[in-house]
Amino acid sequence: MKTTNYVLTGLGGQGILFMTKILATTALNKGYNILGAETHGMAQRGGSVVSHLRIGDARSSLIRAGAADFLLSMDESEAYRYLPYLKKGGKLFANASSKLFPDKRVAAYLEKNKIKSMAMEASGKAMELGSPKSTNLAMVAFYAAFGYGPLKADDLRATVDDMSPGPFKEKNLRIFDLCYETGRQMV
Amino acid sequence: MKQEFLLGNGAIALGLLEAGCQIMTSYPGTPSSEILPEVVRFSKAASLNTSIEWSVNEKVAFDNAFAAAISGKRAACCMKMVGLNVAADSFMSSAYIGNIGGLVIISCDDPGPHSSQTEQDSRLMARLAKVPVLDPGSPEEAREMIKFAFDLSEEFQVPVLVRPAIRICHARQNIKYGVLENNLTQADFKREPTRWASTPKFRFVQHKALNEKHLKISERFNSLSPFNMHTLEKGKSYPFGIVTAGVPSSVVQDMFEEYKRAEIPVLKLGAPYPFPEKLADEFMDACDKVLVIEETDTVIEYMLRDKHKTLGRLTGHVPMEGELVPEKIEGILNKALLDCKLSALSDFDCGQQAFELVGGLSLPIRKPTLCPGCPHRASFYSIRKALPKAIFPSDIGCYTLGSNLGVVDTVLDMGAGITMASGFWNAYIQDGIKKSIVATMGDSTFFHSGTTGLINAVYNNSRFILVILDNHITAMTGMQPSITQSDRVDGSKGNAIALETIVKGCGVDYIKVVDPFDTKNMIQTVKDAAQYVDDPDGGIAVIISRHPCVIGFRDLAIPEKIKVYISDECNDCGFCLTRFECPALYRDKETEKTRINEVLCVECGVCLQICPQDAIKRV
Repeated sequence: MKTTNYVLTGLGGQGILFMTKILATTALNKGYNILGAETHGMAQRGGSVVSHLRIGDARSSLIRAGAADFLLSMDESEAYRYLPYLKKGGKLFANASSKLFPDKRVAAYLEKNKIKSMAMEASGKAMELGSPKSTNLAMVAFYAAFGYGPLKADDLRATVDDMSPGPFKEKNLRIFDLCYETGRQMV
Repeated sequence: MKQEFLLGNGAIALGLLEAGCQIMTSYPGTPSSEILPEVVRFSKAASLNTSIEWSVNEKVAFDNAFAAAISGKRAACCMKMVGLNVAADSFMSSAYIGNIGGLVIISCDDPGPHSSQTEQDSRLMARLAKVPVLDPGSPEEAREMIKFAFDLSEEFQVPVLVRPAIRICHARQNIKYGVLENNLTQADFKREPTRWASTPKFRFVQHKALNEKHLKISERFNSLSPFNMHTLEKGKSYPFGIVTAGVPSSVVQDMFEEYKRAEIPVLKLGAPYPFPEKLADEFMDACDKVLVIEETDTVIEYMLRDKHKTLGRLTGHVPMEGELVPEKIEGILNKALLDCKLSALSDFDCGQQAFELVGGLSLPIRKPTLCPGCPHRASFYSIRKALPKAIFPSDIGCYTLGSNLGVVDTVLDMGAGITMASGFWNAYIQDGIKKSIVATMGDSTFFHSGTTGLINAVYNNSRFILVILDNHITAMTGMQPSITQSDRVDGSKGNAIALETIVKGCGVDYIKVVDPFDTKNMIQTVKDAAQYVDDPDGGIAVIISRHPCVIGFRDLAIPEKIKVYISDECNDCGFCLTRFECPALYRDKETEKTRINEVLCVECGVCLQICPQDAIKRV
């Protein structure tokens, strides 16, 4: 199968690795081969964190600049920082104000490269729902709403259901459903 | 069969146990740190009786594994590549002496570097020690290479080095595995002093025997598919070929598939040393030009020994430093192909335009910082407050980030915080100047390589303050236990060792223990220590700054939550932002006011003590 490339980014502490795990587990359940690349060690301390995920039969774990199908960013600045990884026609999902995103200087680049960008204030949503640490789940649900790529919304939701420990299950699924709905209204 | 989305270090751990590794030792260091805990996890799940330990340092880890291997057991030790420098003395001798049970050394490289002092290439260390080396291209291949390494090591009675680079260690891959079983080989050390304790005369004999082994291993490496292989068609000649290994070999193969350039032949050398001469000759004979893409040094490039045909680092086609990330490799391939009058893979600018656009956006610079609530921050604040004009030699660990706070002037290697303090003292005292020097070092680093330097400093009359930052844990590499606690890696109990007794044993008479969260007391303690150092009857002063790591021991580190706010008395002088640099304190972009990020704040309350205006208040 053709390899699908995801670049996931944000700040240390936002749960990028957990977000990667949701996508990876969903892919694994579908029987796909997967490869990922993570940030550990010194680079993790308060810095910009990036995780690469490749679904398909690739050999190398890193996605090259200009080859990512999807960029999911939990932070607006980090979305810009990793923009060079998106390929022409790639899709950008950002935790940012849907009215103000993207920055004017970036908009021209996106247009030229036929990159579609979608923004939702995911941390705001997570905070509203009383779970500021669930910005990562909110972003996964937002991505799922658009139906791009090999991972489908139902399967992603089932993974969130599986991976959420008992006391958090209901809250996590509620966040997922609400952010999925927000995304659906933008489709 | 089970399947997991396993970290490369997990795949390595799996390979170790599948090979029947019985003894496993390590000292943590990025990117190797997860190997040992993964061995523990797999070993426990399968109820194996693997002997697993965090050793005090890499040399200790190596010697432990070596003794087990010459007793007939399969043993491994793992470390980051700079750790191999610490074990180098043993490592150099080990190939001459050889082993009985398989001995595998895993030295994880960090091209970039992402979390290291150097970009050294462990394959060069292997050459220096005359130890065969394997260079995996994926987690799955690392697992297979480990198993092969044990067989090779036993067959030829020589240690084998496997060097996964960071993109193997911290890659993840879905990996299937079956049932793991105990290796029941019993320890059976056979006395043979001429071998195990040989004198120089016998070392010569051993060296000769080792060189003979190398010829045979090189022969074996000529036909070691899929680790060593080429894609030449018999009898065909080519204008251009690629010689590659390790992580870049996977990138090149992916790229040729994507761009449909299967006509370019590839020689992959996952087992580059002892060099597979015949295989390489076949390839060189068939190609007019070859481009060598390897990380991070010129190992294969030199061994090819044909500078008229070979493009690589020595011809300026491949950068001499930095990680060979895929976009960089694409650029290297495009240029080399064009230089050889062939069509490039693509007209892609390797993201240059996009990177330039991003560079112009003045995005926030996110340098690594100490965590909110980190006790090191409080220690550094107090040290600078007490002795602002001192020289601050420091060391390797989270506390290296004290450089942001102006309290880390030098970082050389593990242990150099103390040894360089002695060196600075000697350099100044020769000129009759009693220079004020405050060295800092973490508890784990102190055990790793601090004591020798401290003993030396006491013996030779050096004078300085040493602050041991005791947070009870090896934090930077991912919360491995420290010797100050009794916890071992497998959950069993060992014997904790108190820093005070070691420091006293090194001959230091002045030892004070403080809690850095009480900055007033710590500032005074540092000032008192400076007086002792200065006193003709004084000496070296050691302050143990003791407070648990806020990540490793959250509840112990923050016994009482102290919620704070910034009052109107704040005049935005910025002192707390630059001199304390807590990530939970920030300047609001719009209002230009100093604020607290409540999501990041851990409510340690230390910032209450540092504001010059007393504007930070308790809620």
